[in-house]
Amino acid sequence: MSAPTTADFPMTVSPATAAALPPWPEVVSWLSAPERRHAVDVLRAARRPFVQPRCGVGEHARMLASLRTLDQAGPGLLSVTIDSHTRLGHFGTAARVLRERPADLNGYPLLAHGWERGRELAAAAGVPLEVRHGSPEARDLFACTLASGITSFEGGGIGYNLPYCKDVPLRDSLESWREVDTACGELAAAGVVVDRELFGTLTGVLMPPSISLACAFAEARLAADAGVRCVSIAYPQSGEVYQDTAALRAIPALAGRYLPAHVEVHPVLHEFMGVFPRCPGCARSLILLGALTARLGGAAKVINKTVHEASGIPSAEVNADGIRCAQLGLSPLLDFVELDEGLLAEECGWLRREVTELLDPVLDAADPLPRIVSAFARGTLDVPFSASVHAKSVVVPGRDARGAIRYRDFGALPFSPAVRRHNDACARRPQPAGDLLTTLSADINHFAAGRSCERCAATPTGRS
Amino acid sequence: MAPQRLVILGVAESDAHAVANRLIAMHLSQAGFEVVNLGTCTPLADFAAALRRHPTAEAVLIGSLNGHAYADLRDLPALRAEGELRCPVVVGGNLAVGVDRSADARRRLLELGVDRVLTDAAELVPLLDSLRPKVAV
Repeated sequence: MSAPTTADFPMTVSPATAAALPPWPEVVSWLSAPERRHAVDVLRAARRPFVQPRCGVGEHARMLASLRTLDQAGPGLLSVTIDSHTRLGHFGTAARVLRERPADLNGYPLLAHGWERGRELAAAAGVPLEVRHGSPEARDLFACTLASGITSFEGGGIGYNLPYCKDVPLRDSLESWREVDTACGELAAAGVVVDRELFGTLTGVLMPPSISLACAFAEARLAADAGVRCVSIAYPQSGEVYQDTAALRAIPALAGRYLPAHVEVHPVLHEFMGVFPRCPGCARSLILLGALTARLGGAAKVINKTVHEASGIPSAEVNADGIRCAQLGLSPLLDFVELDEGLLAEECGWLRREVTELLDPVLDAADPLPRIVSAFARGTLDVPFSASVHAKSVVVPGRDARGAIRYRDFGALPFSPAVRRHNDACARRPQPAGDLLTTLSADINHFAAGRSCERCAATPTGRS
Repeated sequence: MAPQRLVILGVAESDAHAVANRLIAMHLSQAGFEVVNLGTCTPLADFAAALRRHPTAEAVLIGSLNGHAYADLRDLPALRAEGELRCPVVVGGNLAVGVDRSADARRRLLELGVDRVLTDAAELVPLLDSLRPKVAV
């Protein structure tokens, strides 16, 4: 770590990355320029939720073209989604595939392209960019993101570790993200506020809301302690509108409990992350429902889906269509849609209680980091379907009769008898014939089979 | 009693999709298989090492949903040339980036030496049954 430019970057970066980056003072002055518009400005100005697509292709020229196409659809922010090789720190593989067959990359390899091209991306769109990825250790990528002039960065030591890789110790990922967050604190002192979005979506399938919010707020607390001033708390749509609205409305209340008042907090809804219906009509209905839910829940933004969700990465045109579809769900024409406030308050109250039972024992410490590590080791914090060996993954979720996600098996989560009784009362429903696999598959295929047209239901995965 | 049928299962090196992996492991266990599940983000060399530990495995089953199957499996010919992974290698999932490139992706994987390419996990047990006489002799 002795290359001359590493010393002035406020976090550890590899010598190869450091050698390629501009000096830190140049980065700060680039980010501070008055003409620069940042994600935080858009988040603060939002009166209704805005839409943000995912977007990442391997080739630079195609990426520029995609951003320009998506910009036409009126998003609030645009994304630079990073390819899987770069996410895992395999920068050499990403660079090789970029040379040999760039169309094989499932995202934009920012480090292989370099920060000068990153600045071209930032200049190509009329709205600020966010880097979305899935890196358990993201210091090199964050340094390159900042040098690119991008000040919105997704991820954290839990949400970008447990769902995204097999064997990075949680302590390592949390400590490396602490450096990212400390750098955000230094930038805030220099007048540049970085939006740090926390990926409560986790593995994206049947995620119990209390697990999503507990993981996001654990990361948010560490981020705030390290100096972060702006966090976006992302929650994945379960598809049951009362549960989702309650979860979004729980975010400001939980922020009041766990974060200092000077940290600004923006709720984010990820449109449904599970198996999407294949036919365009059912897919569009689900996209519209997601956006409407975001409005009812008071989200700042919606991360949208597309009608090609079931089949693969969408083209820029299909992605732009997804933005427009979500915008329909945000239309003031639908403002007449209201939910039963009594039912919402009840759902929200139970959810807040679940989260506090998970988090109070962990966050009641001067430095919660070691407690978070040991909570996952013991399973008192857990993530279902984890990719990582560092979560127990013994919690089993399931849908209740309304479609809301409940706990089928609590694993070692430290819930009180009252919370358990309430969950079990909600979860009670006639079980479909068959074993756990059949039941889980039916819950996973909820929108691709159970709540869609006959054509979708006949082949939920479309692979007959 | 017939000896237990055994398969080696895992997800390709750059891929962290765990849900299908868990469900397929449950499905194969219910169908009577012993499943050595290497989980997500598994390099090809780790599949080879697992096959050395479990030489009776009927097949190595590699899932890939992120479109990176080709890059993740490109060392297969080299490993086979060294005498590794000499059992049926089955790859399944979403095999290419983009919507309309699956036929091309399938052809390239077969050219690498992958024995079978699947897009539906329901075809897995019938496929293993059909491969069985080859491994029995």
